[in-house]
This record gives sequence, structure tokens and C-alpha cells, in this order.
Amino acid sequence: MATPADLLSGLVADVDGVFLFSPTGSTYTDFAESDRSPVVVAADNDVGAERFVELPVEFDNVKDRIRFGVEGAMDQNFCEDGDTLACAAGVFSDGIDAVVRTTVSESIHSGIYDLFANSRADPSVIRDVFEVAIELGKKGQKGKPVGALFVVGDAGKVMNKSRPLSYNPFEKSHVHVGDPIVNVMLKEFSRLDGAFVISDSGKIVSAYRYLEPGAEGVDIPKGLGARHMAGGAITRDTNAVSIVLSESDGLVRAFKGGSLVLELDPEEY
Amino acid sequence: MGVLGAGAAFAQATSPAAAGGSSPLDAAGRFVDSVPGRLWLALAVLVLGGVLSYLVIAVNQRILEGAGVPDSIEGTAFERTARELGTSTVSIVARISGYFIFILAVLVALTVADVGYIAQFWRRVVLFLPRLFTAVLVLIVGVVVADKVELLVDNRLRGVKLPEVSILPLAAKWSVFYIAALVALGQLEVDTDALVVLLAAYVFALVLFSALAFRDLLASGAAGVYLLLDQPYGIGDRVRIGDTEGIVQEVDVFVTRVETDDSEYVVPNRRAFTEGIVRVRE
Repeated sequence: MATPADLLSGLVADVDGVFLFSPTGSTYTDFAESDRSPVVVAADNDVGAERFVELPVEFDNVKDRIRFGVEGAMDQNFCEDGDTLACAAGVFSDGIDAVVRTTVSESIHSGIYDLFANSRADPSVIRDVFEVAIELGKKGQKGKPVGALFVVGDAGKVMNKSRPLSYNPFEKSHVHVGDPIVNVMLKEFSRLDGAFVISDSGKIVSAYRYLEPGAEGVDIPKGLGARHMAGGAITRDTNAVSIVLSESDGLVRAFKGGSLVLELDPEEY
Repeated sequence: MGVLGAGAAFAQATSPAAAGGSSPLDAAGRFVDSVPGRLWLALAVLVLGGVLSYLVIAVNQRILEGAGVPDSIEGTAFERTARELGTSTVSIVARISGYFIFILAVLVALTVADVGYIAQFWRRVVLFLPRLFTAVLVLIVGVVVADKVELLVDNRLRGVKLPEVSILPLAAKWSVFYIAALVALGQLEVDTDALVVLLAAYVFALVLFSALAFRDLLASGAAGVYLLLDQPYGIGDRVRIGDTEGIVQEVDVFVTRVETDDSEYVVPNRRAFTEGIVRVRE
């Protein structure tokens, strides 16, 4: 006779570590008393966990969330290749409602954590740009889908590898992504062609930039347009990250080092 | 004394009524007549004071809550202690003001009732009471603000994982508390000259040392304001500051980040002014 508890015991049998995604304080305390403290993956370390990975975006896709957590944990040596992990996360609700068993391997290494933590720009700046892009993708410009290209970080080099298409509306302004008015502003300027250039600290340096990177050796999926090609290529030539909102399929994609790292659907947020 | 007198008057008023068998209304009339008008006035003042103090408590509580005081003092030690005792800072402050008014009403009532032999004592209490009230209020506000300042500074420095830094929030807390205590003592007319001198010395040392320590930072900040407003060079320009040449990556209030292919320079903005800026054209 199998009881419902057997379902779980199979999943958590001889795992090397426990990952808690956004646990409540009491959940963490229950686990913290065991001999190997769990790794907490959350936006803030509210529970005061010893081993903690900061989650910059609440990834709606649980796969992305777990990938991010595991990559972050590997980066901080909380777990290593070949470990089997039990990840407790919330799929349908904010609280923990599912346990996922996963093995740490190369395939889980998509570079999501690397995109946020090891880029030139601050993680919070990249997060803010993602939020702007997601909101732009959700609402569009006057109900019509828009495309946008944000190049984040290494702004000096990016500026030297691009030329202006017209006057820069952000000249002599000190606007940062994450400022309250910026969403509206970027929405208006997304009508313009060309890329937004954003510095390491989040200052919007320019709009209307025509990127001129060398496009050889760029590995992006076939079928994506010129915007994605330009966005992908500039990240090969510079240390920037680019975040592209597609006009045709409405997805937000992030490129780093010339390859596609992350794909998000704005409708899911 | 007033109550005793009223009781005696009541006994006098009721006994003939029981004996004579006249109407109760009549007895009540005689009872009212037999109590001096002064006492009735004192009673009215007392009742009015009670109602007024109740209103003040309620209104004060509303005003403080409306001003968002409970949210902004959330988490301070004083508020926590108050919560443990089953009350809150807001209700304590509201109650104190209410009690103050009630005590005032009692004193006015006593004066009206002409309780002569303690008048001398009460007069001094009446003069002293508002000052005591202000002192208590200042002290409570001081404690709460000091706690809040400690929390804010602590939050701000959370990112700095240095054990020595934990002295800063404490110093900020005790500075605020010291000033509050000074003001409270001043209200009570305690001689605080020595404490004021101590405060002056403390502030002077603080200003002197920060001026010395932050001299370069201030100069850079002033230069940075000009650089940000006028933008003689912007992100992406190739510049030479002193013997540092490279592409500008970032300009903020204190420093300019200049980068070449293999190294990144963090140049204090002060240097952009003292050594001049060369914009290099290809």
C-alpha cells in the first residue's frame, strides 16, 4: 500500500542538498536545524539564511528559477557537479507547493545566473531593464506590439561601436532606469528606431543608436530579425548585455557574449 | 472635603424628606439648594474636563494615526516595549495629553471649590505641570526618534559587513537621545550648562573631523556637480585627465570612470578640475 507520503519520499531519497525557494521563516527554521543547512533562494534574505542566493527577478517559469538558484549555488560552492538536489518551490502560489528533484549538470548551466551576477552592469540595473522590457511587451505602444533593444553596461565602448541615427533625446539628462517616470518615457521613445544604451550604473546614455558591431561568430537562433542580430553581436564585441523585445513574437530575450541566454514571455508576468 | 460636605448635605436633605413624607422632587430641590453653587461649578468643571480629555485622547490618536506615525515608528525598541505591555506609542502619547487635560481640570475644579489651604501648593503645581508634560513628550519623541535613527543608519550600513561599523548607529541613537534629554531637562529648569558645553564640544569635534576627513570628497563632489550639469565630456568620449587617457564609462558625483583596453581608472572629479580635461579626437 503506497501512501501519498511515498510520492515525496521517492523524490527526496538520498539527495545531496535541499533548496528552498522563497521560504517562510518557519519553514526555514525547521530545516536549518538539520546537519546540512538548506540553500535559500529568494529576493531578500529575510530568514537570515547562511547559504543564500539572491533572486533578482521572480522568474515565473519554475525551470528558470531553479536554474538560476542552482547556478548561483554552484558559483558560491554550495553544490557541485553531479549532486542531486531537492528543490522546494511555489509553482501555482507564492508559498511552497512543489518539490522538484534535479541533478546538477552542464545542461542546467544556461548562464542565467552569470547574466545577472557576473555582468558589468549592476544586477539591479539589469533587473530594471528586464522589467521595463516586460512591461513594454505586455502593453505595447497604443495597443500595437513594439520592439525595443536595450544595450546594458560597458556604455563607453558601446557608444564607440555605434553611431547616432538622430539627435539623442537623453543628452544632458540624468535619467536612470528604475526611476518612476522612465517606463512612460521609454515607451514613447520606443517608437524611434535604434537601440537604447544604458551605462553600468543604470543611466540612460542615449537612444536612437545604430549599432555597428562585427557580426561574425554570433550564435543566435535562425529566424530572428535584424534587431536581435545587432543586439547579439554587440555583446560579442563589448562586455555589454543586451535585452531585446521582439516586435513579431513579443518575447523578451537576453544576450551575453554573443549568445542567447534567456527567453521570457511578458504575458506570463 | 467637597465630597464629604456633599454627603453631609445629602444626609440632611434626605432625613426630613423621609420623616415629613413630602414629594421627592421637593427633597431634590432642597438638596440642590443646600449644596453651595461653587461645588456644583467645580463638579461641572470636573465632568467637562473628563469629557474633554476623553475627546483629546480620541482625536489625538486619530491625528497621529492619520499622519502615519504608527508605520514610521514600526520596529523601534520603544514601540516594541509598548506593544509588549499591550499598548502602543501612539496611545501612550494620546493618553498623556488627555491625562494632562484631566489633571488641569481637577486643579481648576479644586480652585473653583475654593479649597483654600492647599492653594499655595497647587499654584506651583499648575505652573509646573505644562513643563512636565512637555518634558515627558520631548523624552518620548526623543526615544522613538533615536530608535528610528538607529534603525535607519543600521539599514543603510547593512551592506557593509564590518563589525566596527556597528558603532555608528549606536552613536547616532545616543546623540539624538542626548539632545532630547537636554531639551527635556531644560524644560524642567534643571541646570544643564555643563551638558550643553559637552554637546558643543562633541559637535565641534564632529564637524572638524568630518571636514578634515571629507575634504577631498567634498572637493570632488563640488567638481562632480559641475561635470554633471555642464557635461564637458560624456560617456563614450575619449579623454585625458592628467596622465590617464581612455574612454569615459561613467560620470557620477564623486568619480569619473575612464577605461582603456586593459585597465579601468577611477579618477576623482577633483583631478578633472585641478589638472584639466583633454578631449582626444581621433
